[in-house]
Amino acid sequence: MTADREPANLPRILIVDDESAIRRFLHTILNAEEFFLHEAETGHAALAAAAAFRPDVILLDLGLPDLDGIEVLKRIREWSQVPVIILSVRDREDDKVAALDAGADDYLSKPFGTGELLARIRAALRRSIQEVGEPVFSSGALEIDLNLRRVTVAGAEVQLTPTEYDILRYFVSHAGKVLTHSQILKQVWGLAYLEQPHVLRVNISNLRRKIESDPSRPKYIVTEPGVGYRLKLV
Amino acid sequence: MKSAIKYFACLLLVMGATAVGEIVRLHLSPPNMVMLYLLAVVLAALRLGLRPAIVTAALGVLAFDFFFVPPRFSFTVQDKEYLITFFALFGVGLVISTLVSRFRQRTEELAEREAETAALYRLSRDIASAPDSSAVYSAIVHNAAECFQVEAALMIPIDGALQVVEKNGELEITAADIELAKWSFKSLRKAGHGSGSYSDSSAMTLPFVVMGECIAILILFTCERGAIAEKRLNRIVEGFAIQLKMALVRLELAQQAEAAQVVHAREKLERALLNSVSHDLRTPLATVTGVLTSLKEDGGHLSDRARLELLDTACSEAERLNRFVGNLLDMTRIEAGAVRLRLEPCDVQDLVGCAIGAVEQRLGNLRIDVKLADNLPLVMMDMVLMTQVLVNLLDNARKYAPLKSRVEISANADKNWLYLAVSDQGGGLPGKDLQHIFDKFYRVPIPEGAGGTGLGLSICKGLVEAHGGTVSAENLVTGGFRVCIELPLKEMEQQ
Repeated sequence: MTADREPANLPRILIVDDESAIRRFLHTILNAEEFFLHEAETGHAALAAAAAFRPDVILLDLGLPDLDGIEVLKRIREWSQVPVIILSVRDREDDKVAALDAGADDYLSKPFGTGELLARIRAALRRSIQEVGEPVFSSGALEIDLNLRRVTVAGAEVQLTPTEYDILRYFVSHAGKVLTHSQILKQVWGLAYLEQPHVLRVNISNLRRKIESDPSRPKYIVTEPGVGYRLKLV
Repeated sequence: MKSAIKYFACLLLVMGATAVGEIVRLHLSPPNMVMLYLLAVVLAALRLGLRPAIVTAALGVLAFDFFFVPPRFSFTVQDKEYLITFFALFGVGLVISTLVSRFRQRTEELAEREAETAALYRLSRDIASAPDSSAVYSAIVHNAAECFQVEAALMIPIDGALQVVEKNGELEITAADIELAKWSFKSLRKAGHGSGSYSDSSAMTLPFVVMGECIAILILFTCERGAIAEKRLNRIVEGFAIQLKMALVRLELAQQAEAAQVVHAREKLERALLNSVSHDLRTPLATVTGVLTSLKEDGGHLSDRARLELLDTACSEAERLNRFVGNLLDMTRIEAGAVRLRLEPCDVQDLVGCAIGAVEQRLGNLRIDVKLADNLPLVMMDMVLMTQVLVNLLDNARKYAPLKSRVEISANADKNWLYLAVSDQGGGLPGKDLQHIFDKFYRVPIPEGAGGTGLGLSICKGLVEAHGGTVSAENLVTGGFRVCIELPLKEMEQQ
């Protein structure tokens, strides 16, 4: 399916899903929000479209008739860093983790709400546009100055251990994106710690105690059960 | 009694009769002495058996002739009439011996029969109380060993191959014994020590043949003991075989009955599932369809407010439908034993946070208080599934607790267990409901009718049990209802 007109300044989205009902629904809600869309039904069509259509964001369903969604993702990642948002059904945490570790930027569980989808697309677009991060990150009352290595909550400085700060900095550089346990472990502690998930749990728990007003209802560092963590943009 | 001793006893008996005859010789005429020898023959027949009795009769004739028939102390006979007496003494002795020893044999047989009956009775009593096949085998071996006073073992054909299922104590069963048993199994004949075939073996193998089929092989280690009377052996083996067959048939029937009960329970569950599915899937679908068609066919009559309200209803019904499908999937997975745990060390506070986050939007004005003990350890669990457990409990509290009340999530731990509890301030439950709330499709009726699927708590139970934990429910003295979860704390090194 090719578009009849090609507005140059609209974000381009590639929708990959074999269910026509889902494609129709996505088409409706995303068109209304002024995106330029392209659809693919199969993995091979998706790979072709990723090269020809040059999307800014790809919405990728994992259950495709010809190729495994993760395989599609890996092949795209061989030559492109375009943000990929996985659309998957509930209870497939293993798939989600595999997709994220293979380079997906985010995932949404079906069924999802329109608002959530738009928010994820916008976050992905924002990340891909501002490759060079701002030196100061802020979300709600939380503020992180990457130059000064200073973290404040509502203006009050918070003392973090070097590890806690490294975790937070990694979150900031991928703000809004889900990071899997192994991604964080690899980045902050190194490969040797991949099998030591408890050090991550303990540090996240401590970090929350320092920056969250109610650690039982975290506002900034939210857990994606069975997958990882996400620094939320409030 | 060894036969030499027996014949020596015959000699003694004859000597005794002669001694008594010597004492009474002056008062009795020699022919009457014959009675004394007859008495000795009777005693020999009673005590020693047929042959010793015959020997006693012959010895008696000789002694009578030697000691009492004139001329005394010589075998010569003056009066030829005594020859008739000799024949009479020997003939009567012979007849008495036969009769008495036959009587004795009968008595012995009776006693044996009685012992066999007692053995079979003991066996049937042991077997009747045997809960499973291994107890039956043990009863057979134990009783056989006791009955024959030997070591015993039992072999059963399992999938076509004979296997030792039970044996006495430390008994060693050699390859040769097993070969012997195989031969018996094939030929349906006994083999080994004391039988016609392979009689150089130390063991005897007895096939248990019922209706032409060998159902077991009994091995008796008889070499230490004399041979067992053929008839007796056959009778006992037959009795034991029948008892074993009956016991096995009984166990099989019991098993079938149990299986039938399981099938029945499953059918009942399936009916409940179908009822629930058709009701719980269709109700929200009906609402969603209703809303969508009314919006589609609306000719501009609906106010904006009404339109929004309709959409809200449709959204929340669709969410309910999604939750129900999720519950059904979880339940199916638990039922099929297909719950695969992805155990990872989890922060309990994180777990509670995730559960609250998942239900927050539908909580309305219910308040959640979190009371976690300090220094809770990391707990090995499947975070996704345990979040589901807490979400189900919170959803339950939301449905049954009064508006604007408080739900408390608390957690503490000791050395081996993590204790999680969710308590509400609702009215609690009647005792009869409390017993069943973890059953599938059991719903506690509530006035507003916004009932659940009857799956939430049984899913909780299934998931917690998959973690090796337990879940229980109780009414609180202060009013309200509490569900407690205990999860085992596993060693962290496992990771």
